This record gives sequence, C-alpha cells and structure tokens, in this order.
Amino acid sequence: MTRPPLHHHLVVNTGKCLYNSALYRAYSSHPPSARLNVPIDYATTPILHHTSKSALSNPELSTEARNGTASRQNLFQAVNSALSHALSSDPSVLLFGEDVAFGGVFRCSMNLASEFGSDRVFNTPLSEQGIVGFAIGAAMEGAKAIAEVQFADYVYPAFDQLVNEAAKVRFRAGTNEGQTCGGLVVRMPTGGVGHGALTHTLSEDADTAVDYYASYHSQSPESLFTHIPGLRVILPRSPAQAKGLLLAAIACPDPCIFLEPKILYRAAVEQVPTEPYTLPISTAEVLKQGTDVTIVSYGAPLYTCSAAIEKAEKDFGCSVELIDLRTIYPWDRQAVMGSVNKTGRAIVVHESMVNAGVGAEVAATIQEGCFLKLEAPVQRVAGWTTHMGLIYERFNIPDVARVYDAIRVALNY
Amino acid sequence: MSVTMVNRLGIARAIATLAPLQTRNYATHATGHGRQRRLNTPPDFSKSSLLHQTPQTFSNTPGLPRGGASSRLNLCQAINSALRTALSESNEVLCFGEDVAFGGVFRCTLDLQSQFGDARVFNTPITEQGIVGAAIGMAAEGAKPVVEIQFADYVFPAFDQIVNEACKFRYREGHTGANLGGMVIRMPSGGVGHGALYHTQSPESLFSHIPGVKVVIPRSPSQAKGLLLASILKAKDPVIFMEPKILYRAAVEEVPDELYTLPLDKAEIVKQGADLTIVSYGRPLYTCMQAIAAAEKELGGRTIELIDLRTIYPWDRETVLESVSRTGRAMVVHESMVNYGVGSEVAATIQEQAFLILKAPIKRLGGWTTHTGLAWEKFIFPDVARIYDGIKELMAF
Repeated sequence: MTRPPLHHHLVVNTGKCLYNSALYRAYSSHPPSARLNVPIDYATTPILHHTSKSALSNPELSTEARNGTASRQNLFQAVNSALSHALSSDPSVLLFGEDVAFGGVFRCSMNLASEFGSDRVFNTPLSEQGIVGFAIGAAMEGAKAIAEVQFADYVYPAFDQLVNEAAKVRFRAGTNEGQTCGGLVVRMPTGGVGHGALTHTLSEDADTAVDYYASYHSQSPESLFTHIPGLRVILPRSPAQAKGLLLAAIACPDPCIFLEPKILYRAAVEQVPTEPYTLPISTAEVLKQGTDVTIVSYGAPLYTCSAAIEKAEKDFGCSVELIDLRTIYPWDRQAVMGSVNKTGRAIVVHESMVNAGVGAEVAATIQEGCFLKLEAPVQRVAGWTTHMGLIYERFNIPDVARVYDAIRVALNY
Repeated sequence: MSVTMVNRLGIARAIATLAPLQTRNYATHATGHGRQRRLNTPPDFSKSSLLHQTPQTFSNTPGLPRGGASSRLNLCQAINSALRTALSESNEVLCFGEDVAFGGVFRCTLDLQSQFGDARVFNTPITEQGIVGAAIGMAAEGAKPVVEIQFADYVFPAFDQIVNEACKFRYREGHTGANLGGMVIRMPSGGVGHGALYHTQSPESLFSHIPGVKVVIPRSPSQAKGLLLASILKAKDPVIFMEPKILYRAAVEEVPDELYTLPLDKAEIVKQGADLTIVSYGRPLYTCMQAIAAAEKELGGRTIELIDLRTIYPWDRETVLESVSRTGRAMVVHESMVNYGVGSEVAATIQEQAFLILKAPIKRLGGWTTHTGLAWEKFIFPDVARIYDGIKELMAF
C-alpha cells in the first residue's frame, strides 16, 4: 500500500480506509483558528455520563437499574441492548425492517436474529409502506411490532400508513377498547451526519473516502408527525436516554415514532445502566439549570448548544438553562413555559428547517403562555429553508457560532 | 302478494308518513325554546363581502381585470374555467387524475376531455403515488401536468413523491436550470359537514416544512381562477392547490371571463382595520367575517383587519408584519389542527419580528388537536363564537 501524497486527500482506493487516520486527515474539519466551531468533543461533553456513578445516579431510573452496574456503550449498542431486553422479556415483541436480520446498516440489531429466531427478528422487502402497514396490522393483533425504516428520509412512502392509519386507529375504534395499534414503534436513524447530502451516487468501493451519501440520508422529519395527532414522536440525545426511552416507547400504549440521531450512533459513548429501565415519555429534561436564557432543543443539536453555552457563559457572564424536549409530540409544555417564565428569554434549536418546524410550535406556545414575562422574542436557530446539499451540511445545520450569537442577541435585546 | 311486495309496500308507507321533502326535520342551528343563535349562524354567501356579488366590486380586489365580461360561477365552475383556459392557452397542459374524464367527483373537469381529447385529459388508476410520480416525470420533460388528488386526505401516499422528488428537483438540478414549473397538484380540502376522518383533512402545513412546493388555497371562485392560472402558466415551482370543498357550490360570485393571473407571493388584505389583525385562508375567512361583524358592533369604534394568506408557503411575511406593526395584535385562524399548524409558523414569525409592537400574545385558533369525527366537525373547527371570543380576549388583554 502506498501512501498518497498529502494533497490527494479524497480518493484512497487501496482497500484500506485512511479516512479516519488522525495522522492522515488532509482535509480540515474546521477553520484553523476557530474558537467556537470546533468539533464536539464527545469524550468530555457534560451531556454524556462518563462515569458509571454519574450514569447510575439519574433519579429517573428504577431502583433496580440504579443498584445495578453500568457499561460503556455507544448509541447503537444501547439501542441493541434495549431491543434485546424487550425481545427477551416479552414474546409478543417483533423486530423487522430492511437488512435487520444481519444486524442492520447501523448495527442496532446485531445478534438479535440469531438469539431470538427468524420468526421474531426478520428482514422485509424494500417497501416502507409495506413495513409500516404490516406493523400496524401486527400491532392491532396484539404484537409489539418494532419496525425499522432504514433512514428517516425513507419514511415518506409510509406517511399515509402512519398518519391516516396508525394515528387514527384508536380514534376510529370508538368504544371498542381493545382496538389500538399501541404496540407499534417505528424506529429510524435521523439527522445530519456530515455526508448525508442530496443525491445518491453509489460507489462500488465502500472504502472510498469520497462522500457518496445524499440529502436522502440527512433529513429530520420529526415535525411532520406532530401535526396530525395520534403518534408520539421521541428523539433521544444519548445512549442511556435511548435505551430508556425506547423501552418506554415499546411499552407505551400509543404508537410511537422513535428517531435516532445517526451521527450519535458511534460518536456518543457513555456509561449506560445494564438493567432494563424506562424513562418517562412526554417529559422534558432540564440538562442544565440557568437563570437568564432558556434553550430548548433535542437530539444532536444539544451538544452544539452545550458547547455554545459554555463559551457564552464565560464570555457574557450569563447563566443559560438547557432543556431537552425528548418527546417532540406531545411535548412537555409545562417544563418549557415554567423555565421561560423564570428566565424571560428563549431560544429553540433544531436541525430541520426552521419553517413550520418544531421551533415554530414551541415559540408560538411560549409567546402565548409567557407573553408578559418575555424580555426578548423567542428565537429559532434551525436549519435554513433549503435542502441539505452534500457540502453544505455544516452551513445548514445550526453550529456553535449561531447558537452563541442567538444567546448574545437574547441577552442584549 | 309476495313477501317482497309486502315489504316494499310497508317501506313505501313508512316513507310516506315521513314529513314531505319541504320540511327539514333536523336543525342547522339552534332554534328551540325561542332562543335564536346570535353568532353561530350559517354564513350567507349571497351577501358575503368576500365574494363579488356584482362586477362593480372587482376594483376592490387588486389583480382582477375590470371592465370585461364576467359570469356568475361557483368554485367548481371557476376551476373548470381556469382549466379550460389553461388547456387552450398551452398545448403542454395536461389534466389527469381519478375520475377526471367524466367531469370529476366535484365537476371541476366537466367537458374537458370532450373538448381537448383523451391524450390530454384522462383518468388514472387509483394510485396517488403514481399520479404524482407520473406528473413529476412529465413536468421534468417540459409538460404542465395539472393533476387531481381526489381528496386532500388521499395525498399522503404521494408524500414521498412530493417531498423527496418534486420539492428537491430544482435543487438537485443545480446549474441546469431544469424545474417542475407548471406542475399543479389540485385537491379538494377542508371540512364539508359530513366528511369525517378521511374527507375533511387540510394538510397544508405538512407541505410548508420541506421547501420546494408552493401551497396555495383560494378563498373564492375569482381568486381560484386567477391563482390556478398563475400556478399553471407562470409558476417556476410545483404548486399544491388546495380547494376548500365546501365552497365548491356554496361560494358563488362574478368571475371575469378572460384569462387573468393573480400573484402567488402576495397575501391580500380583504378588510382594512386598525386594532387587530386576523390572518386566515380558505373557508375560515367567511367565519372570521361573521365574527368581525359581530365583534365590531361592540368594540366602540375599534376595527379589525382581515388578511387572506392565499399562498400558505412561501407566505407573504411583509404584508402580515406590516399589518401587525399598525395594529399591534394578531390572531391566526385555520381549520387544521392548531398543533404545529400554519398558525405556529405565522405566530412564531410575528413575535420574532414585531416583538416590541405586540400588545397581546398572538392567538392561534385552529381545529382542536384531534381527528374530525363525523358528528364533531362543527365543534372542532373554529366557529364564529370562538373567533368572536378570541377577538374580545385580545382586545381586552
């Protein structure tokens, strides 16, 4: 294997991927003297539990979980752990989707087919409409059907099934109490990953360092499932959160959409309690107390917010409260409004486009409920109103500088 | 006599004992005990100032041609007129969908196939995904396909085509400049009184998140004709054209005969006012007018401004913000659910831009966060009383 010269940074067709080699990164991840927009350091971010003591002291955990042990897992391992718990504890749990049997394109279903059998963990054809339609039917017959849609961008063929069927089953059933599809959970990787982009230009060689994904691998459609009521939309921020929220979603008597930020599958590593546990759905969590500004966010942008808050608090001498919505719909209005009534300033941060996104609903509700306490308008820092071009992801998704600026604007209004 | 004949006679007798056709045995509004409904009375479209009862009022609406011939048309006839005009105007225009050939379930495509032939006006199988997918392909090849989705509730199978293909087409094309301009997806939307879960939905806000299509909702026949012609003949982007189905027959007005277009990027102030801005679109505008009429009588001279968004996305921020900067109070009214609806985006934007001017929080009046059960429509959609209450609440804040 010959090492290509430094200026040939992209195509490395040698069978060995030099993409991640620290020595060898010949492209820049951030401008040389960047102060704010430096890559997130997941190893030190306060959002993740870096010690088992910290992981096990979460007051939302059950006693068993808190008295147990914790192990270091990334997001896909935590999801895998949750799925394994669910499959082993409840024979009505099924797990299926495209490529699920071999372990899944993100490894979330590793070893589950071999352990629980192909009657319960199996592949489906390439048909999201069929996957979800089948899942709804199975859930209506009493199964806990966990359907995987391979990327959130692909969920749209299943939109009719989700919005016109799953969301309406219980309403339609009227007084027939048993008739629900509450056992339905639709899981999907969501969000930007750095190379998701727009059009799929496949490459034969999987080790080629040329980015070949597309804008069909970066979307975050959470707000589209929030308008037509009937589904719970959940988005965890970390491995430990994902495990608890996924187990809660599986147990939840309502159909749930569980979006997993794909960039965190490997990046977010923390101590996760070994015992099974659930976390409350439709409850937001205050990650950091503060008195001057409230930032509301969910998923991967929380890490960006945390980095921005750290810098802003140092530079402006302020105190910022950070809230993780966790469940996008129905969302925890009380927690958010309680916080804004305290701070008087609010910012909503999310990856998906700002127009008609989660920020719109949160901002509209905050101004309704906290009108007289607001010292500044509720700002929405979100993806710009455009599609996610391959090379433009880092300009589109809110970065640390944008959140930092929003904090400054809120303070100085 | 056979059993069947006895049954038939019995049924006939039973029917005969029912009140004759002239008597309506149910009430459309409360009349019992001598109490008259004060607010929630059915709108009288023949007197509504939102409709042009005579051609003389055309000059009140910017963009309408004046002085030419006009005809009294309802909404489906106006759509029909627009489609006919577009099909005559350009050979690239096609019109297809389920049941379009015989005239359409709402008569919007009446006589089009006989006039323009079945190569241009034709039926499709029952496949919304296929209808829209085919339209996208045709538009990519330069045609102007005007497709019909039979009810807005049925558009969801086409969601992937719209959101992942149509919306992204021009972006993907980059420098080539190719686009899907001229593609229009028409659909009847909104409550109609008996639509229930699957014939009542108004999914406009779902198409406002992922950019790339325009979403247009006309309030009246004359608006529909102009906006539809603009969508087909002038737009450089695909348009989702949602027609409030309850207005198909109910809204009747004078409509200019000639070809005219209305701008797809401007909201319209349909009633001037100084103290409160109400933003709405489609059928709820009529409800708002009723509420405004009732409320203004009791507001001691204060007046309410009513804005028709017309294009829900991209929406005319300037007009709305300019209005709120004068009035200081705002309300958004729409039929679809209030959660994550158009009202959220409008309210969030107004409070961002007009924060210091606002004298009261922006009120969102939408359908309640539930599905529209058959018997519950009139409780779910904002009615005159709710809007009236909202007005009083904002004025007193």
